[in-house]
Amino acid sequence: MSDFSIIGKPTAMVDAAGKTTGAGKYTDDLSLPGMLVGRILHSPYPHARIKRIDTTRAEKLDGVMAVVIGQDAPTPYGILPVGHDEHALCTDKVRYVGDNVACVAAVDEATADQAIELIDVEYEVLPAYFDPEDSMKAQRDFIHDNKPNNIEKDYHHVFGDPEKALAEAACVAEARFIANEVTHAAMEPHSTLAAFEIDPHTGKPGRLTVWSSTQVPYYLQHKLSLVLEMPMAQIRVIKPLVGGGFGGKSEVIPLEIIAAVAARKAQAPVKITYTREEVFWAHRGRPRTIIDLKTGADKDGHITAVKARVVQDGGGYCSYGVVTILYSGALLGALYDIPNIQYDGYRVLTNKPVCGAMRGHGTVNVRFAFESQLDELALKLKLDPAEIRRRNLLKPPCVTINGLRVQSYGLPECIAKVVERSGWVERKGKLPKGRGLGVACSHYVSGAANSIIRSDMPHSTVNIKIDRDGGVVVYTGASDIGQGSDTMVAQIASEVLGCSLGRVKVVAADTDLTPIDIGSYSSRVTFMNGNATLRAAEEVKKQIAAAAAKKMNCAAEDLAFRDDRVSKNHVAAGASPAEASVRPTQEGASVSGRVEGQILRGSLQQKRKDEGPKDSLTFEEAVVAAIDFHGALTGTGSYAPPPEARGGKHKGAGVGPSPAYSYSAQVAEVSVDEDTGEVTVHKVWAAHDCGRALNPVSVEGQIIGSVWMGMGQALTEEMVWKDGMLMNPGLLEYRSPSSVESPEVEPIIVESIDPEGPFGAKECSEGSLAATIPAISNAIYDAVGIRLHESPFTPERVLAALRANKAQKKIDLTAGIDPTDPARFREHGGSLWFRGKGPERHALDPCRREAPVGGDD
Amino acid sequence: MRQKLFEPEYVLDVRCIAGLNGIRPQTGIGVEIGALTTLNSIERSDFLRKHYPVLTEAAATVASPVLRNMGTIGGNICLDTRCLWYNQSLTWRKACGYCIKKDGDLCHVAPGGTKCWAAFSGDTPPALLCLDAEVEIAGPSGTRRLPLHEFYTGIGDNYRKLEPNELLTRVFLPASSADYRGIYRKLRVRGSIDYPLAGVAVVLKRFDGHVSDARLALTAVNPAPVLVKGVTQLLNGKIMDEVLAEAVGELAAKTAKPLTTSALTPEYRREMIRVFTKRALLAAASN
Repeated sequence: MSDFSIIGKPTAMVDAAGKTTGAGKYTDDLSLPGMLVGRILHSPYPHARIKRIDTTRAEKLDGVMAVVIGQDAPTPYGILPVGHDEHALCTDKVRYVGDNVACVAAVDEATADQAIELIDVEYEVLPAYFDPEDSMKAQRDFIHDNKPNNIEKDYHHVFGDPEKALAEAACVAEARFIANEVTHAAMEPHSTLAAFEIDPHTGKPGRLTVWSSTQVPYYLQHKLSLVLEMPMAQIRVIKPLVGGGFGGKSEVIPLEIIAAVAARKAQAPVKITYTREEVFWAHRGRPRTIIDLKTGADKDGHITAVKARVVQDGGGYCSYGVVTILYSGALLGALYDIPNIQYDGYRVLTNKPVCGAMRGHGTVNVRFAFESQLDELALKLKLDPAEIRRRNLLKPPCVTINGLRVQSYGLPECIAKVVERSGWVERKGKLPKGRGLGVACSHYVSGAANSIIRSDMPHSTVNIKIDRDGGVVVYTGASDIGQGSDTMVAQIASEVLGCSLGRVKVVAADTDLTPIDIGSYSSRVTFMNGNATLRAAEEVKKQIAAAAAKKMNCAAEDLAFRDDRVSKNHVAAGASPAEASVRPTQEGASVSGRVEGQILRGSLQQKRKDEGPKDSLTFEEAVVAAIDFHGALTGTGSYAPPPEARGGKHKGAGVGPSPAYSYSAQVAEVSVDEDTGEVTVHKVWAAHDCGRALNPVSVEGQIIGSVWMGMGQALTEEMVWKDGMLMNPGLLEYRSPSSVESPEVEPIIVESIDPEGPFGAKECSEGSLAATIPAISNAIYDAVGIRLHESPFTPERVLAALRANKAQKKIDLTAGIDPTDPARFREHGGSLWFRGKGPERHALDPCRREAPVGGDD
Repeated sequence: MRQKLFEPEYVLDVRCIAGLNGIRPQTGIGVEIGALTTLNSIERSDFLRKHYPVLTEAAATVASPVLRNMGTIGGNICLDTRCLWYNQSLTWRKACGYCIKKDGDLCHVAPGGTKCWAAFSGDTPPALLCLDAEVEIAGPSGTRRLPLHEFYTGIGDNYRKLEPNELLTRVFLPASSADYRGIYRKLRVRGSIDYPLAGVAVVLKRFDGHVSDARLALTAVNPAPVLVKGVTQLLNGKIMDEVLAEAVGELAAKTAKPLTTSALTPEYRREMIRVFTKRALLAAASN
């Protein structure tokens, strides 16, 4: 085991104090002189053409400084180059209830709210599509004119010969799975503050500064430049503290552009903070996914082929949709050894808020289906569920049939650990009635090997500057959204330079100051920005070592950097406790810092001459020597994934490849109340292979968080729709589990030490989520013998399945709707809540006395 | 208020009216509870736990501890009825054409109907109904006192008999309701904070192993908390067992009229009334 001084030690987040005392500033805490409040008018219709917008009444209201509409910034944008289909504010059509129509900038919130009600919009209501499978059959009134049949994108991949393999398989399982829509529910609602400086030469708005709760400052800068038609160099994006993202802030959210457009028109700073309802409308969460899955295995339980047809309900715009549907297919590979794969993926547009990236992007719902089906195969083959997983392991290093390169692979150890800790062998199948254990595995990328912007630039660049004061400043574009990237960057820099953590200051996510990093998403930051930091630190270290070696009359390679000292290797290696105590105390360091100042420099040089060459220098001494020798002391490092990790050549091959994959295995213990259908999760054992745990306490936090979020999707969280209306746009009715519902989670860190990760590290924050849902589902099967095909496993779904399974007294739970019949489910957006007997939307409602034609807002 | 369901010109803080706060046992008569008594004080009252356990149990399940420190018994009795089509923002309600309960003339729960079905979702009123509670209401012309079951109308958008210039001041529990065994069972998705999706309160007295008196009330499945009729007759003089409890469960399920006013399907919630009634009765009858 390598001997690190900072890496691998539980380390408090560098920004923890501000967050816990309340001193830390989030975007909504910021304020500027003359700042206005922006409020957005949202569409009341799921699909309608805007015929006329009249803002005169709103503009006349006292305190209203500007009203902006689509025509004020008509250039389309979108996070993907293939999906530029959004506008800051709708120009011609609204595509979901909550779509953005106009924005008022006013002196306060009450005035802005009042003005919103005074905007007159005339709509022509169009037929709307709420179910993806219906939407695909559309012949007219397409949601986007250039997307026939409302299909955003479809992919059809065949690797090997799945038809033949399935025909020859000893055992085949086939089923339809449905995973309903969930959203991030980050604690901090989106917020953006935009301010223009007045150009001194023209008197017009010049440079733009935007503070925003974003995971992707660089993309925001890029899209702002596009929509506002300004050079990127004129735009500065700063990310203050962010209260959670989970993917919901990993693209440009409408309010970020709207705030800038409004600030330009009002000629004053504008801040917009979403209400919780607006956060639900902005959404970008995990789409409702329909998965038709067929898996074949030979008589020994080796998977021979997988065939998946996946339909995703993407909402009104593209967002990350093309990437999501590709991940769903690509990540069928790289977990198990599967020789034949067929994948048909459809990303479909519907008149609902837009789905995008969410923790475990693209893989979670398909993994739920796959791991459930794997248990069904195990049952048919009379194999233990853990054993069938062991029989299908990859043999890395290898490249999967769909072109994914796998190097480090800790899955076998993950499975072994959870099986051992949970007492699987002794307890599985032997628990009292109504209680059960389930196992499932998952994996995720450590950053996408191909960036979404088609460019050869490095994915991360980091600069380090060290000055005579001995302070190390790291300039990184990495966006800390609460996951701890600032801490990770500080840890890596201080480990390489052998200095204490307190010496490192991280300047992050400010496009004027920090080099480009493409953002905090796809679990790329530790791997990519970590590697860039490592390289930048090594470059600076080399310069310090060269100067220090000269001073110490030795070769640079003989020097060791540790504990704020640069020492000759044999000294460091042979350091006895007595010698170690000579190390400068905090006090000593500050004294020597002062000594390094300009005033005493002469006497210091005299002192050094007197002493002759030393075996060891303090960090400050070494830095001063290096600056004297080289001039400025800076280093830069960047990271781009290696070509061999960038995947195959087929269409859509760009999504899925990663320089490294994380692996997870989990066992869940649940009990089911057979009278009520209520499921209680008692404990989850979660083993995660994160390469090397740079900060174990942070890794454990991420594992626990993933399990908890996965449990939410498995049991209680569901966005419920009725004719395009979100029925639960708040945290009271959208039920994320609270601490009371949270089971004990035992995180188990597995370190496979990746050859390319920084100190061997891989991702740790997304991969665990996908295993939780099937682990719970499989445990429910073990407890009461029902196989659930639709998430979340609400008490009514569980009870319906229990009653159906047992052929006992049927209750009319769903009044004629068979929950296993997906065709009927579609009528009400997949939910059991509504039986399709509600009225049509009011504009078309026959039971209304005078049916208004068009809108009357 | 944030959802613009209420747009009052003034908001009056009544928390400091000392006379309306506190639990005052009156020997031989019962107990008087001020409307401003917090749910937390009720939950922690030794007197109430000893003599009216169903009330402390119900109070302890309201929302979360933080809210119980603020919320009062009067507030819980007067709690506005709830509906997914009503408890939404102004923009949301506008998008669906409003509803009978606020600003509109449609019911989305029972299309074509003219009655509002918003569900009463307080936890303590079913317990109070079982205890034969009475409430005192103060208005410009003095105070009046009426049985709690007369306080509710069963109409979602006009659910209580309280004029705008009136105030609910006190709750009385008679001595005759004291010392019943009591159980409150509540269906919710999250144990930590949710409103009841179905709730069952049971009080029961036994003599020589036989039920001598019993009452059962439901919440969250009708526009008012309701006492289930016929429970006393069905149970009196009998020994509680599974079959009997099941029968009462059927009766309760018939009384419940859950609609799509809240999460989970109406049929499921009705089924849970049956299950929870059975469980509550068996629990109340066990030693």
